[in-house]
Amino acid sequence: MSLKVDRDGMAFTFKGGMLPMTVMELTSADPERIREQLAGKLSQSPAFFQHTPVVLSVERLDEPHLALERICAVCRAHKLLPVAVRGGPDPVKQSAWALGLGWFPPQEAARPRALESVPAGDAGESLAEEEAAEALAAPAVAAGGRIFRGTVRSGQQITAPEGDLVVVGAVNAGAEVLAGGSVHVYGALRGRALAGIHGDSQAAIFCRELRAELLSVAGNYKRLEDIDPRLLGTAVQVRLSDDQLSIMSLD
Amino acid sequence: MAKIIVVTSGKGGVGKTTSAAAIATGLALRGQKTVVIDFDVGLRNLDLIMGCERRVVYDLVNVIQGEAGLNQALIRDKRVDNLHILPASQTRDKDALTLEGVETVLNTLNKDFDYIICDSPAGIERGAQLAMYFADEAIVVTNPEVSSVRDSDRILGLLSSKTRRGERGDDPIKEHLLITRYNPNRVDLGDMLNLEDIREILAIDLVGLIPESEAVLRASNQGVPVTHDDSSDAGQAYADTVSRLLGEDVPLRFHEFQKKSLLSRMFGGGRR
Repeated sequence: MSLKVDRDGMAFTFKGGMLPMTVMELTSADPERIREQLAGKLSQSPAFFQHTPVVLSVERLDEPHLALERICAVCRAHKLLPVAVRGGPDPVKQSAWALGLGWFPPQEAARPRALESVPAGDAGESLAEEEAAEALAAPAVAAGGRIFRGTVRSGQQITAPEGDLVVVGAVNAGAEVLAGGSVHVYGALRGRALAGIHGDSQAAIFCRELRAELLSVAGNYKRLEDIDPRLLGTAVQVRLSDDQLSIMSLD
Repeated sequence: MAKIIVVTSGKGGVGKTTSAAAIATGLALRGQKTVVIDFDVGLRNLDLIMGCERRVVYDLVNVIQGEAGLNQALIRDKRVDNLHILPASQTRDKDALTLEGVETVLNTLNKDFDYIICDSPAGIERGAQLAMYFADEAIVVTNPEVSSVRDSDRILGLLSSKTRRGERGDDPIKEHLLITRYNPNRVDLGDMLNLEDIREILAIDLVGLIPESEAVLRASNQGVPVTHDDSSDAGQAYADTVSRLLGEDVPLRFHEFQKKSLLSRMFGGGRR
């Protein structure tokens, strides 16, 4: 597990990750139209335009040559950071690389739905809101998830590195359950549970009966003796708020 | 085809050998042709509990290393016809056992016996893993205390992964919980874990509950498996356990604190 990598001698480690990402699906290649409509969006939800990374999807455009550099400049002027381009013919790919952007192959099969209801007459664009971007990340996380049925016993380690881990049973003392996403235990949690092992601070731990030796979300942990005794034995969720683990009753 | 049952626990001193001897004896008394094998190479005890220590000539290691035939090493029990003992070596260590050797021995015994009981050493190392590797069923011996329960939990994890059935993905090993040294009085006082807590944590079927009993220590020192002492509570509890292993539905006994009757309280000096 990446947790066990000896970090002392390493300058870096490569890790797989599933990040929520806003896809800006272009239906017009005209930088001026994009500029006008982005300006309108900026006034509606300024919180969204905070150097938000976006992937420019040009799959729905049918233009061999894009003014990609101008489109990027327009985005940056509105505090959106294009990090990659998805789809488009070979010249688009080459110009994306020339601009220092990544390129992803088109996602024909699994095209995400439009994240926003586009008002009639304003169908020229589609832009994600912050909450919607999280919703988009959810199916990707589920794809790497894992369901374990039975008792996780002392000495056993059950891992879902790229998604949520669901345990239908108990996690006994001395056992360890880890997930890149959230950990759900439909039974007593007596062992150690670590959620967000690659640093996902949105991950959480859920269990039916809290008796855990250790709880950790994105590296922030609590030991059994740090847990409010009144919460022991109850159904709880454990999540990060302000870099602190908070344990809340589910009942 | 014999059924191979490993008697294991992880923790030492919980009553594995006593239970292996008592259950093997009980199965033989019920007419099943049974052999009990001591896998605790280097810490041979089963022969003492079975009362055959003076008749050991060859042992399991001799058989595996080709120094003796299986029939030379098998000891026929004095009291029950259907029962044989395959003792361990006291002078070797567990590295003398090989997986192939154990498999050959078990395959040979398989033809002649109904039940093969493997008495596992404590721990989770090589000896314990060899004892459980070929098992069809496992009896996990647990005392009503937290460290024993945790070690049993660990063993249950190994039974599902580090065994032939686990590695091949065959039907899993049938796991039975055997609670020994249970004292309902001390459970009521909170000194011991209660039956329900143990069952909830380990989440496997209970095959027997053996009360803490003077009869067990007496039986061990006399070299007579406690099953023969059918007047004792422990002897009866092991007989019940054997019945359940044979598929019978037997109600649980000895798990509740026996309140003394009015008369015994009147004449017992008021002590509980």
